[in-house]
Amino acid sequence: MNTIDATEHYSTSAHDRPPSLLTVILDTNPHAWAQLSSQSALPLSTAVANILVFLNAHLACNYANEVAVVASHTQKATWLYPVAAAAAADPNQPPGDKDGDTPMLPQTQNRPPPPHEMNKYRPFRIVEEQVTQNLHRLLGGTTADDLSATTSTLMAGALTLALSHINRRTIAWAEAHGGETDPNAHANNNNTTTSTNTAGGGAAAAASGGDKASTESGLQSRILILSVSSATGAAHQYIPIMNAIFACQRLQIPIDVCKLAGDAVFLQQAADATKGVYMALAEPRGLLQYLMMAFLPDQRSRRHLILPTRVDVDFRAACFCHRRVVDIGFVCSICLSIFCEPLEKGECLTCGSVLEMGDYGAKPAVVARKKKKKKVRGPGNGASATPTPTPTPGP
Amino acid sequence: MAPPSGSAVYKKKDGTLTMSPDQQSVSWIPAAGGATGTITISVAQITNLQQTPATSPKVMLKIHVLPPNAPDNTPEQYVFNFTAGANARAEADAIKDALSAAIQAAKAAQAAPTPPVAAAAAAAGSAGGGSNEGVSAAMAMANAITAGGSYEKPWDDDKRLQGDMELQQSLLKSNPQLQRMFMESMGTKPETLSAGQFMKQFWSTRLHLLRAHAIERSQTRGSYNVLSTLKPRVEDSVTKLNISKEQIQLIFNQHPLVKQVYDENVPKLSETQFWSRFFQSRLFKKLRGERISETDATDAILDKYLKADEHGNLRDAQVPHFLDLAGNEVNHSQRRGNRPDLDMRPSSVDKVPIIRTLNNLSEKIMANVAPADAIPQANGDAEDDTYNELQLRDLRGDEEQRRILLNVKDQSRFFSSQSKTDEDEESRLFAQQDPKQILNNLRGEVDQNLPEGGIVPLGRLVEPEEDDDGDETKQASQVGSRANLKRASSQILEAIRDRRTQTEVSAISGTFGLSSALYDRLTLTHATSTEFLHQFWQAFLSGNPDRAGEVASLVESLNRAMDRIKAVQQDAEAERQVEMNRLRRHAREVLEATGKKLRINLTNVAGGEQAVTRLLGPTIRALETALTKYKDALAEEMKEMPPA
Repeated sequence: MNTIDATEHYSTSAHDRPPSLLTVILDTNPHAWAQLSSQSALPLSTAVANILVFLNAHLACNYANEVAVVASHTQKATWLYPVAAAAAADPNQPPGDKDGDTPMLPQTQNRPPPPHEMNKYRPFRIVEEQVTQNLHRLLGGTTADDLSATTSTLMAGALTLALSHINRRTIAWAEAHGGETDPNAHANNNNTTTSTNTAGGGAAAAASGGDKASTESGLQSRILILSVSSATGAAHQYIPIMNAIFACQRLQIPIDVCKLAGDAVFLQQAADATKGVYMALAEPRGLLQYLMMAFLPDQRSRRHLILPTRVDVDFRAACFCHRRVVDIGFVCSICLSIFCEPLEKGECLTCGSVLEMGDYGAKPAVVARKKKKKKVRGPGNGASATPTPTPTPGP
Repeated sequence: MAPPSGSAVYKKKDGTLTMSPDQQSVSWIPAAGGATGTITISVAQITNLQQTPATSPKVMLKIHVLPPNAPDNTPEQYVFNFTAGANARAEADAIKDALSAAIQAAKAAQAAPTPPVAAAAAAAGSAGGGSNEGVSAAMAMANAITAGGSYEKPWDDDKRLQGDMELQQSLLKSNPQLQRMFMESMGTKPETLSAGQFMKQFWSTRLHLLRAHAIERSQTRGSYNVLSTLKPRVEDSVTKLNISKEQIQLIFNQHPLVKQVYDENVPKLSETQFWSRFFQSRLFKKLRGERISETDATDAILDKYLKADEHGNLRDAQVPHFLDLAGNEVNHSQRRGNRPDLDMRPSSVDKVPIIRTLNNLSEKIMANVAPADAIPQANGDAEDDTYNELQLRDLRGDEEQRRILLNVKDQSRFFSSQSKTDEDEESRLFAQQDPKQILNNLRGEVDQNLPEGGIVPLGRLVEPEEDDDGDETKQASQVGSRANLKRASSQILEAIRDRRTQTEVSAISGTFGLSSALYDRLTLTHATSTEFLHQFWQAFLSGNPDRAGEVASLVESLNRAMDRIKAVQQDAEAERQVEMNRLRRHAREVLEATGKKLRINLTNVAGGEQAVTRLLGPTIRALETALTKYKDALAEEMKEMPPA
């Protein structure tokens, strides 16, 4: 229907440069940040301040640009910005709601800014307020028990949150601006891919051609992951992470990875598969410089730039059985699960399919078997009686 | 219908041969002795049926049975001699037909095709001829049941593809690159490997190529619109047109009218006269679908046929009922005095003749082509087919996606059991930290630096005040200090530089500085090495001791592949030396002639051993791995082997 409604007076917006949505996934794993602030003197608060400056720069590029911030914490993945008004003013969550005002408007609970902050550009201020407020709430709600339970971060959940937000914004933007996107088709794509897209590869590649035109004129979205934890701790999230990566690949959403610490094997693949920038920071204290130089350009500008991304990608996958990162593995032909050793009875541990194993793993036989001995030979003088034929090949 | 039966003698005993009602077995019950001597043969075990020919006075049915637990593949035979006199032939036929139908059904139900029973197909028809020398001689093959269906395409059978030398030769001829590799591998194969073995291995990995080639060869060119391709040309102000026999044949096929005209006139006109008149006539123009204008030359003979409706007899073609308008005669609006509906009025033939002609011709051409994609249906209804063909599939809604349901189990259960055992360095470090402490530190620091309410001092956090006299170490540790930003930007710039050099296309990248002849040799060496590696791993990993000899000989060829790579390296190095000498000589000449000293950069001379090593590095590594694995396995097996 939308295409029918796309009458003349909408066409101007389609010719405008479409805005871009930048979603930042901030890994707030307290374990990793404690390490990072002690080792390289980059505390979380300073990093957040740097990110806020970076977000402001993005917002300043285009009046219609949008940002979103997701925190990937140890026990949950949650929004830092934007947060629905109802949730922000929920009286059941006491921190932040100190004055006890009526929880109708989120603005009412804000303290009036000090005079020298009065002139802050409003979009900057809203982002800053919400991010800091929600970060406080997140840290306030974290208990020591939560931390001792796990040392990893919920990257898959954060990616899924980011993707669903991107999907919603894309549809909303297309509806509001009458872009050439067919929101239904797009929604379908999104729904199927974000839920369970194990097929990934082929289907995604086939569809990406068709989607290309729509992403050109629609909202341009990208994801930036600030990773501090090692991905090996997240090996059990391998499938959801890969699904999210395939969804991004299909929707042409680049995943940029800014690695402050740890070893992010899958994120490297994420950046490579989605044509994003992967950068392992040699100097985390220069964070702002990295953010501004490497991660600020949007998709449109990137087409003309040489990206500072790594070229040697670690394509290795983690096996599903022992979460080892493997060089040579065995892949289930039904569900594409990876195993580090041949399966017992050929039954896939993930989907239960019984697979033909062929005669793999047979012990290599290099010495020619002797011709079947004649029956007349007694059992006493068996193999030892006959000289073994030399297996070395002739000249 | 009662199952067919007949009185038959088995091993000189009278009895009755009966098909079971469920068609799954056939049994012979002796007339005397009750059920004790009963023989029951399951249909699934029958491999072949033989019957005496109709001309033979004896009526015998021979059933070959392969019991499932037979020690070797020798089928058992049962010979039944039908004794019902005049009725014997009919009885035998009934049983044989029922049996063969049941066997076919059983075969079709089997998913895996059984090897063809070709061996039993030795027909001895000539020996029959009424002479009763021996039972087996008189037995003529009446009905050989071949495995699989007759509709199976030759390219579906891997064995057949592998054995078809003629096809392989033709593929090699059409693919020179493959041919070169084949010849090279053939030439360097170990002696102990016979040509047959080698070919078998070579093609076993290229069945897909063979299949594609077989399919390609089976495709033939269809006929085409011949009249439109005939273009008269003008030479020396005389219009000439060459026409071949095949083209005439095609014209006759496509345009029966021309054939009719030809038949009726050619004795009167000479052959050449007829064709020259035809190609200038209005009839020719009409058949081609062109508009006839008043200025076109008239022809007394040929113009008679202009009015003849060429498509007249096509109307008699069978029309499916559901679109047969003539069949709708009863419900005919014109009978009530109405004018036919707009769609029903025949438009004038002259309106757009080219479209009519082309449609007609296409229809005729397509009618002669056997549909390749048609699904053969035993009881296919022509009506239904037309209906399905005409359905507007686009108007249907989206079909429900039929995805394969994956039964994915929860993976965390296998992770949880392992998670404690192989924790990495980092998680151990994390575990050492006191959660309470780090949480408190984090909260305190965030509270201090990021106060709520939009009053975060971003400027102070991002850009620390740098006092000029501040000591270097303090500055270096501060986030966002100038030194740190500089280090960061240099890392980014380096990454960009790396990236640019990698994406840039170098001029010599095509052959990496090697001469094209040498580069060709290199690719060929690579291809053959890979081929032998492939064969080696297949034999090595098969674990079949009978192939040990083959493995040994393949190892020999792997060694030789290594030698060949070395030879290429040496030649490349020699080539590079020649090039360097040329540069040096050139520099010397320049020095002598002008007194100017040319600085030559010999490291810039590309190619040489280094280039080859770089290109073939992975191959060399693969060869080394294969050889090491072989040596290890050999040593181990020698150890296990008891001393002689």
